[in-house]
Amino acid sequence: MNEPLPYPAAPVRHGSNSGQPMTRRDGRLKVTGAATYAADTHPEGLLHAALAVSSIARGRVSFLDVEAAKAHPGVVEVITPQNRPALAHDPDSKTLPFSFRMDALQNDRVRYAGQPIAVVVAETLEAATEGARLLAPRYEAEAARIGFGNGLPEPAPMVGVGAPGRAETGDLEAGFAAASQIVETGYETPAQYHNAMEPHAIVAAWDGDHLSIDMPNQAIAMSQASFAAFFGIPVQNVSLRSPFLGGGFGSKAILAGPQVLCILAARMLGRPVKLVLTRAQMYGPVGHRGATRQTLRLGTDAQGRLTALEHHAVSETSTFDDFIEPAANASLNLYASPAILARHDAMRMDTGTPGPMRAPGEASGSAALECAMDEAAQAAGLDPLTFRLINYAETDPISGKPYSAKELRACYMRGAESFGWAGRPLAPRQMRDENGLLTGWGMGSALFPAPMFQAEARAVLRADGSALVETSGADMGQGAWTALAQLAADGLGLDIDQVEFRSGSTDQPDGGIAGGSGHTATAGGALHAAGRDVVARLTELATADPESPLFGAGNSGVTARDGRLVRNDDESRSEAYADILARAGLEALEGTGRGARDPANAEARAMFSHGAVFAEVKVDPELGQIRVSRMVGAFAAGRIVNPRLARSQLYGGMIWGLSFALHEEAVHDLRSGRVMNADLAGYHVPVNADTPAMEALLIDEDDRFVNDLGIKGVGEIGITGSVGAIANAIWHATGVRVRRFPIRIEDVLGL
Amino acid sequence: MLFHRPETLENAIGIMQAGPVRPLAGGTDLYPGLRDGPPPAALIDLSRIAGLRGITREDGGWRIGATTTWTDIVRADLPALFDGLRAAAREVGSVQIQNAGTVAGNICNASPAADGVPALLTLDAEVSLAGPGGSRRLPLGDFITGVRRTALGEGEIVTALHVPDAPGGRGAFVKLGARRYLVISIAMVSAVVIPAQDGTIGEARIAVGACSAVARRLPGLEAALAGCAPEGIATVVAAADLSALTPIDDVRGSAGYRLDAVREILGRVIVAALGREG
Ligand SMILES: Cc1cc2nc3c(=O)[nH]c(=O)nc-3n(C[C@H](O)[C@H](O)[C@H](O)COP(=O)(O)OP(=O)(O)OC[C@H]3O[C@@H](n4cnc5c(N)ncnc54)[C@H](O)[C@@H]3O)c2cc1C
Repeated sequence: MNEPLPYPAAPVRHGSNSGQPMTRRDGRLKVTGAATYAADTHPEGLLHAALAVSSIARGRVSFLDVEAAKAHPGVVEVITPQNRPALAHDPDSKTLPFSFRMDALQNDRVRYAGQPIAVVVAETLEAATEGARLLAPRYEAEAARIGFGNGLPEPAPMVGVGAPGRAETGDLEAGFAAASQIVETGYETPAQYHNAMEPHAIVAAWDGDHLSIDMPNQAIAMSQASFAAFFGIPVQNVSLRSPFLGGGFGSKAILAGPQVLCILAARMLGRPVKLVLTRAQMYGPVGHRGATRQTLRLGTDAQGRLTALEHHAVSETSTFDDFIEPAANASLNLYASPAILARHDAMRMDTGTPGPMRAPGEASGSAALECAMDEAAQAAGLDPLTFRLINYAETDPISGKPYSAKELRACYMRGAESFGWAGRPLAPRQMRDENGLLTGWGMGSALFPAPMFQAEARAVLRADGSALVETSGADMGQGAWTALAQLAADGLGLDIDQVEFRSGSTDQPDGGIAGGSGHTATAGGALHAAGRDVVARLTELATADPESPLFGAGNSGVTARDGRLVRNDDESRSEAYADILARAGLEALEGTGRGARDPANAEARAMFSHGAVFAEVKVDPELGQIRVSRMVGAFAAGRIVNPRLARSQLYGGMIWGLSFALHEEAVHDLRSGRVMNADLAGYHVPVNADTPAMEALLIDEDDRFVNDLGIKGVGEIGITGSVGAIANAIWHATGVRVRRFPIRIEDVLGL
Repeated sequence: MLFHRPETLENAIGIMQAGPVRPLAGGTDLYPGLRDGPPPAALIDLSRIAGLRGITREDGGWRIGATTTWTDIVRADLPALFDGLRAAAREVGSVQIQNAGTVAGNICNASPAADGVPALLTLDAEVSLAGPGGSRRLPLGDFITGVRRTALGEGEIVTALHVPDAPGGRGAFVKLGARRYLVISIAMVSAVVIPAQDGTIGEARIAVGACSAVARRLPGLEAALAGCAPEGIATVVAAADLSALTPIDDVRGSAGYRLDAVREILGRVIVAALGREG
């Protein structure tokens, strides 16, 4: 199994488009407001829906004043469990791929605060909103079970999206017995909400048994199939458009009750219906990052080598469905240890079901692991970077497999150098800045899997030598419109300006999901392959045509470049695509491509992006006020398709890390079970003035196994490492080890 | 819903007299406060009344019109006495909020965390009211009577604030929040110090916000600071009786932290207002 696989026969080279720091192709549309988001859709005859949501966390709805709501001018219909038309698929079943149980008015039960309990549809948004208020629900409430102290503990055989809840290697007890030092510690992470800037929105319209939907969506083809199942219509009868998303972070990858209810309302009333969730309504039915309580045990020998690593996570989930934040799995693939155990338990609470949120598991798990590593380094009297280098994993610790590529050592070195890590005092509370602020430096390792999904794409070369390429990709703001088009252009051997890229709709081949940081690799791989397919067909035409200067060159004897095929044996002989088509009498030439991983490579290798994050914080010694003043991240994530966009993704991830470390937390009222800060005034994320000087270094990495193009992902890795780096820097500044996130100012004063 | 947009104060008072109608200035408190509820049956937009906006010199002091925005304060050419108010203005929400939000709106909304109030208290500001029964004027400390409660009578509006001259006086303000900007205060402290000839503190006015139902002046500390040399400030502050402050534990900070933090900020703000640092 450890035998290296032969390199692919002819590694695919990047062309002149990818690798370039192009600006966003959709930038102009966005800054001028011309880019249309789902809620900008106003079909003829549009009705507006508003949700009424539960203000209790557990019990049943005993009364809704439907009469009052219906009597309000402009209200067209009130949908409650009493009159809600049947669905073809049970919202409480989990038979669809990647689906969660949802609340679509199937009964009067309330299982979390913020659950939809009625839908009011009206001629105007104002009337619908007022109608929803007039419902003035009454409840039979039961005591809410919120918080780890009140939840229902349960084993977690599965975590995340179908991963086992327990993984181990080696003999843990022997490892601890061999240790000269054991650090045992625990970290708490709070519930967090995605809070994409663009609210969840949907506009649904029926034409007979054809359904058309405008909504932001990270998984277009999968959603199409699921909606079809809910409404008992053929998949091809659902058309879904999602050209732009104002952020998704995982919450727009999964179907939720409000969407189904909006489509249902449109069918019931025979008119298009729009539903836009309010900010507060996104704290419930559309997922969140579940809170965790994690404990870690790290055994080290006299040289500081890990002898055993145990990571246990208790992750919050709802009472009716499972999404167990796979936090402990963060310890499986990063540091060498002869014995590793990662295990999970669930804690059921009366909340909406958590779901994947940017780096699900990796973010919370890395936060705890990187802090625990810092504690172990401290206990061993070692510099945190030295300690990590001592425990550098040359092969994947949990599987023993070789990495497809791992340039983490270079990340450590380049990051440390750029940050100026050398000379950092080992002891805390040693550094002050010119204003007397306590100053501290911390670091963390970053790691994120490099998955691939399935995607298809189509490329059509047109008579004029330009091309149309299509796949149902999702631009969530990460820049897919640009990076994917760059890859498509390279596949075609065309300049990007010659390529029209269509994306974001079910009219196109399945672009897979924008998730798991695998979209560029997967959809981009499919687009590139589609382009190469076109080139291969074109080459066949030209090399078989005695009229062509390429005649007889053979399929591998030409290179596609700048819209021409060029002979490898004589660069002066070439022919333009348009001329080849014209002579063949073709109006267009179509090619297709698929993006997926070579299963043999997938089996043989462990595939991850890596990085190292360094942070500097300043702490006011009397007030405890914390400011992150600098962050430097160095990341190795395969070939970088667009360095400008990749850096933006990495900055964004690092700022999420800062947000995780210092700001984000949904605070529940333990009695009502409601989120008390369900708005952006109370749920803090960093403002620009909280954002430090940042650097994201892109470390060269040639990964020949991850996929033909050598592309990994950069969307999520930036959070990992960053949380720990900041927390560790706070310890270094103050000497106080805070073990609960977010770290508050009063925590560092030890109050 | 009725929406009145009078252009003169007389019209405004007439409208106020005619029926229950809620004043609207920048709307940055009023609209968010509605949450999902309906708007009041009648609103009167005060922003078109020219005489209500702007800062003017008047006999013995300054007049700040009710609809003067925080941005107006930031940009006005005001003496060092107003440095605390100007610093507070820069901390109200964000630039967009400062462009719309008004000084009178801030005091009429009467939030314990209103950032303008401590600075205005240390300026000894008075509030002018106009209503069906005529006009009256009362100290700001008497105007705000509790959490979201004011002395505004039926049909009355605030027309202006008045700040008396205090030659040589300098203001300072520090806001403590859980992030750098766009944040509800954990605590804030404002001071005005009028130095004596010999460099000691002639007169000190101190106010603390977000640590009691209504922001408070600290007369005991003010008295103890009179005649105090710069080197003595720390000792006086350390010994100050802060029992007038009754902070609560909330998501933004614990009561204990608030009290500790206030004492620390007090020292910094007084030193800054004395003009010795910063
Ligand atoms: C995002 C955001 C951030 C904010 N951040 C801060 C902050 O950091 N610090 C802070 O202190 N505040 C903050 N605020 C609150 C608000 O912006 C300020 O209190 C502002 O000064 C209110 O002024 P306004 O003109 O908008 O008031 P409005 O909303 O128009 O009115 C507020 C109240 O006062 C009444 N009113 C207004 N003018 C008069 C008058 N002349 N006579 C009688 N009654 C009147 C209204 O009827 C209403 O009850 C924030 C608000 C938002 C939305």
